[in-house]
Amino acid sequence: MRRYFGRKILTYLITFFVAATIDWLIPRFMPGDPVQGLVSRTGGLSESASKALYDYYNNLFGLNQPLPVQYLNFWTSLLHGNLGLSVYGNGTPVIDMIMGAIPYTLGLLIPAILLSWWLGNSFGALAARRRFLDNTVLPIGYILTATPYMWLALVLSFLLSINFKIFPLAGGYGFNLEPTLTWLFFTDLVAHWFLPFLSLFMVMFGGWAIGMRNMIIYELESDYSRYLEALGAPQSLVRKYAFRNAMLPQITGLALQLGVIVAGALVTEIVFSYPGLGHLVFAAIQSGDYFLLQGIFLFIIIGVLLANFIVDIVYVIVDPRTRVAMRGGTA
Amino acid sequence: MQLGKSRVVALLAVASIVATACGSSATASPTAPAQATNGTPATQAPAATATGLPATDTTVYPRNETLYTSGKQWGAPSTWNPMDPNAAMGVVGLQYETLFLYDPIKDTYTPWLASNNVSDGWNSDKTTYTITVRQGVTWSDGSALTADDVAFTINLAQNTAIGSNLFTFVDSATVSGNTVVVKFKANPAYQEWMQWLYNTPIVPKAVWSPLNNADILKNLNQNGIGTGPYLYKTAAQDRMVWVKNPNWWAIKALNLNVAPTYIVDIVNSSNNVALGQLLSGGLDLDNNYLPGIAQIVNGGYNITTYYSGAPYMLSGNTAWLVPNTKKKPLDDPAFRKALAESINPNDVVVKDYGNIVAAADPTGLLPEWNKYIDQAQVKSLGTTFNTAKAKADLAAAGYKVGSDGFVTNKDGSPIKLNLEVPDGWSDWMEAENLIAADAKLAGINIDPTHPDYNTVVADRNGSASADPTFDLVINNDVQIGSTPWTYYDYIFRQPLQPAASRNRNYEQYSNPTAWALVQKLDQTPVEDTADMQSICSQLQKIQLTDMPVIPLWYNGEWSQVNNTYWTNWPSDTGNQVQPATWNGYWQMGAIFMLTNLKAVTH
Amino acid sequence: MTAASEATRKPVDVAGDGEKDSAPQARRTRGEIVFFAVRSRKFMISAGLLLVLIGIAVLGPIIDPTDPVAQAATPMRSPTLDPGNWFGTTYFGDDVFAQFANGLRASFFVGLLGGGLAALIGMAVGFTAGYRGGWIDEILNMITNIFLVIPTLAVLLVITSYLKARGVLFEAVFIGVTSWPWAARAIRAQTFSLRSRDFIDLAKLSGRRGWKIIVTEIAPNMSSYLFLTFILLFGGAILIAASLDFIGLGPTGGMSLGLMLFDAVTYGAALLLGLWWWFIPPGVGIVALVGALYVMNVGLDEIFNPKLREM
Repeated sequence: MRRYFGRKILTYLITFFVAATIDWLIPRFMPGDPVQGLVSRTGGLSESASKALYDYYNNLFGLNQPLPVQYLNFWTSLLHGNLGLSVYGNGTPVIDMIMGAIPYTLGLLIPAILLSWWLGNSFGALAARRRFLDNTVLPIGYILTATPYMWLALVLSFLLSINFKIFPLAGGYGFNLEPTLTWLFFTDLVAHWFLPFLSLFMVMFGGWAIGMRNMIIYELESDYSRYLEALGAPQSLVRKYAFRNAMLPQITGLALQLGVIVAGALVTEIVFSYPGLGHLVFAAIQSGDYFLLQGIFLFIIIGVLLANFIVDIVYVIVDPRTRVAMRGGTA
Repeated sequence: MQLGKSRVVALLAVASIVATACGSSATASPTAPAQATNGTPATQAPAATATGLPATDTTVYPRNETLYTSGKQWGAPSTWNPMDPNAAMGVVGLQYETLFLYDPIKDTYTPWLASNNVSDGWNSDKTTYTITVRQGVTWSDGSALTADDVAFTINLAQNTAIGSNLFTFVDSATVSGNTVVVKFKANPAYQEWMQWLYNTPIVPKAVWSPLNNADILKNLNQNGIGTGPYLYKTAAQDRMVWVKNPNWWAIKALNLNVAPTYIVDIVNSSNNVALGQLLSGGLDLDNNYLPGIAQIVNGGYNITTYYSGAPYMLSGNTAWLVPNTKKKPLDDPAFRKALAESINPNDVVVKDYGNIVAAADPTGLLPEWNKYIDQAQVKSLGTTFNTAKAKADLAAAGYKVGSDGFVTNKDGSPIKLNLEVPDGWSDWMEAENLIAADAKLAGINIDPTHPDYNTVVADRNGSASADPTFDLVINNDVQIGSTPWTYYDYIFRQPLQPAASRNRNYEQYSNPTAWALVQKLDQTPVEDTADMQSICSQLQKIQLTDMPVIPLWYNGEWSQVNNTYWTNWPSDTGNQVQPATWNGYWQMGAIFMLTNLKAVTH
Repeated sequence: MTAASEATRKPVDVAGDGEKDSAPQARRTRGEIVFFAVRSRKFMISAGLLLVLIGIAVLGPIIDPTDPVAQAATPMRSPTLDPGNWFGTTYFGDDVFAQFANGLRASFFVGLLGGGLAALIGMAVGFTAGYRGGWIDEILNMITNIFLVIPTLAVLLVITSYLKARGVLFEAVFIGVTSWPWAARAIRAQTFSLRSRDFIDLAKLSGRRGWKIIVTEIAPNMSSYLFLTFILLFGGAILIAASLDFIGLGPTGGMSLGLMLFDAVTYGAALLLGLWWWFIPPGVGIVALVGALYVMNVGLDEIFNPKLREM
């Protein structure tokens, strides 16, 4: 057990190190000077004001130091939890901007992933049993999983927000409210949350449903199922075993899909101007703010690695064969 | 089992959003290391006053008392320091005020924190200017505005971190009773002094004196102390909220009051969202460029603009085509002139903007400065769109047409000019395509590209070790103001500024005669209109013959309003004031937009 | 989801032992394949849809040769049956049908090239890791993990800034180079299970070299699986390209379906002005194309593997 997890953790650490280095390196190669760009955006300044502002920001961001020094500074500050200062935020620490945005993104992702995974798999399993359900769930599932995230977001926004005016168009919470622990604020928060959540949920649901349906059929056709049937076991028992076997690839599939899901959340947030990480990434791209981008991507890297690790743990819990294999036996 | 688990997690996630939304807004100030130096007197929000308005404590803003705006703020509000040009919307104008207001439409100055008429401050030989500080003005912490504060603000300009050039022509500022006497050096820049008078926010000496050092810009100054009609309420990643100051001096002194109790400025996201909010009544005033606005104004949505017909918008700045005059063939005035003749700005005005902008005058000066334009000279020397003439001029200047139909350099090498605009600036991307198409008809091969913003800036400015590499860019840096000197400074400035902070003379055009004239213009008192006109005429002659930059169109002061909750907006048939929330416009009279507003009773 | 379950459906290699045996893929005669193909409803419908889309992509620009960015027509016209206005016009006056047809072409191109490149890289990595095992496997695993985790957006951003203009080719190559990890894993798992078989031992005994064994023995045994993987990569590449275009990181110049959505939302405020014909067709096009590919994938799976035939 320790050896197995130890190896996994080592792999993740090395991956993190390399990914973080690449993440740091890449924006440094962007042509154009972000501070110059920032000063230029203010436009119409007197010459001396322009120069003063340029020097001030250059100093603030530590961009006037040689690259190897910047790299070392990067790791020291990273270990202190300091991800640098944001150009887009005029010097606000990146970590503050990210912390302000993460709850919104997690608030979208976690319920969407869990609900869609659970519901999708259940419907997929059901569909594998009943032909009638199969004929409806299947095409819907294919259409949903083939839909690009942002297009579904657009359509939902068009229908429910603009045409029927049921849900608000954009933002995290209403502009006439301040965050307070009141029922009014809470319902407003949920109303703004619902459409982005729904569009993420629907696309993912389709994928899981299809995947599960295929897996169940595959399992139901396998030798042990046939054997159990031949022995006269009730259908429900066979299905129960098939379901558990079919779950395993779905769990690993979840880990593999994380990158795609995060990208989907990003574009969905852009459509709804939902103040999460996606919105921040979009703004950072437009202002050429490499510190902010670098910080956000570092977060995403850490998040994906963590999620991978969690999935590994869950897998070991769910599949007894791996535990046996770890102890050196054979299943 | 699984149902229970995922439901619990979902609830937890939502709860965490609520908690953090509450948390992140209450502590909206980022934990910058400068927090410790944030002046302590500036953190007290004023309590409810004698008039009994509990406005500062409410957390739900009533619709009929709130004004929703958008268009200035391109990122989360992150600093409220009035000396930082990136300060949040309204810091200068709503919270901090200036000595005078300037009205570009009428070309008049209104005494504001000063109480003398602007031209009464001069002594007979114009070597000193006396500012009479208005009595009865209080800061938001209750203390009085005194001449000490004004003198302190003037002397702040000596702090190099602020980067003001005031003390290149000002000698000293001394307090004398309730006035401040400003003494000038020889040949003062009168035009720039007038600009300073209406642009610079007055700050309290008591708060800023201890902060007057090299780190002065690091103070975020959240919830600062100003004289203005609004106080800081709250800020978040997507909004900035101001609340009315019940003790504003102008209520008694000028019998003026701002109408909205709350102003909520919404951070810009996308055109789609802005238009949606405007149409649905979620926004009252939007200062973004919204394509299609002309159709919407006439579409019965209760949305209006300053003009009810073309050009719909006031002009805010000129968009120029800036050539790199250090590169062939753009170093040849004859080529530049032919280039100007080959471009039809009307194409851009009609096809790109749908008539919400206007084509520029050949001098490029905004309509507000019409009196400084030598019309007769423009008639004789100005270029107009004429493809045939462009071709003829090119041929006459020695540029032969190559085998591909495009003109070549005099030595036979092909000409291909790269026109750059920042990626994402959709209207400019459209415009550069139209310009390139026009130029090609005259034989000039222009390649329109749109790299990202920082690349365009880098190409345009170059760096300490490399010259600028651009061929052509479109630029509109200089806004409307009290004097055309700003435009001529933009065109002719010498010497060239260092690349990193360059914001004038991108075309690197060197003409000492012209620069001498520009400096002379700067040193001409604003009351000497005739002198100014004569200098402008000479400058225009140089500009029209040499064509260092090519004027294209007047960019609009984008402003569209929804009349559902507030009416009596600025218009050319109503109150003629500036309708923008952008930097620098409050002190050009936009504050009167707020005092004239009337809530619509529903 | 679909792609992921494909990757993990065949033996899942958690503990690195690679022991689970997969169903043997018997070779089928061509006639048999065609017989089942024609009878498979999924295959026929999806193949039909694909043919229609290919038809529009190939013939569309010929029937309607308008330049998709010409801005020559009256803006914001809703669709009618007049030639050149089948899908209406955009806010700027572009012919939406011309944009759609050209966009489909670009999507096919990106999908084929990007998916193909990803398939090649995935195969190279997967076969090598699966066949060799040991520390080569560990290293390749690590590389796969790194590619899985690196935010491709950051890389694209930088490269984008360097290139003043980027074409569809660049985007396809970029997608190909970044979307192979799951395919590599899937192929590796399959290879693992195959390499311990008798016929491989025989091939080794007869002195064949490693890569030759892979090419002549292992790959043909997995041919249907490889083909299905390619189809999934094709579909995935189209979706990724659409997302990239939507953020504005797509090809400059030219046209694509994602770019139509980007223009509609960012510049044209299409949703608010009610120009549904501008943003609905590109989305439907993507859904149809990718959906057809996914359905065809399942249909082919059933044809190749009779255990999956419909109940």
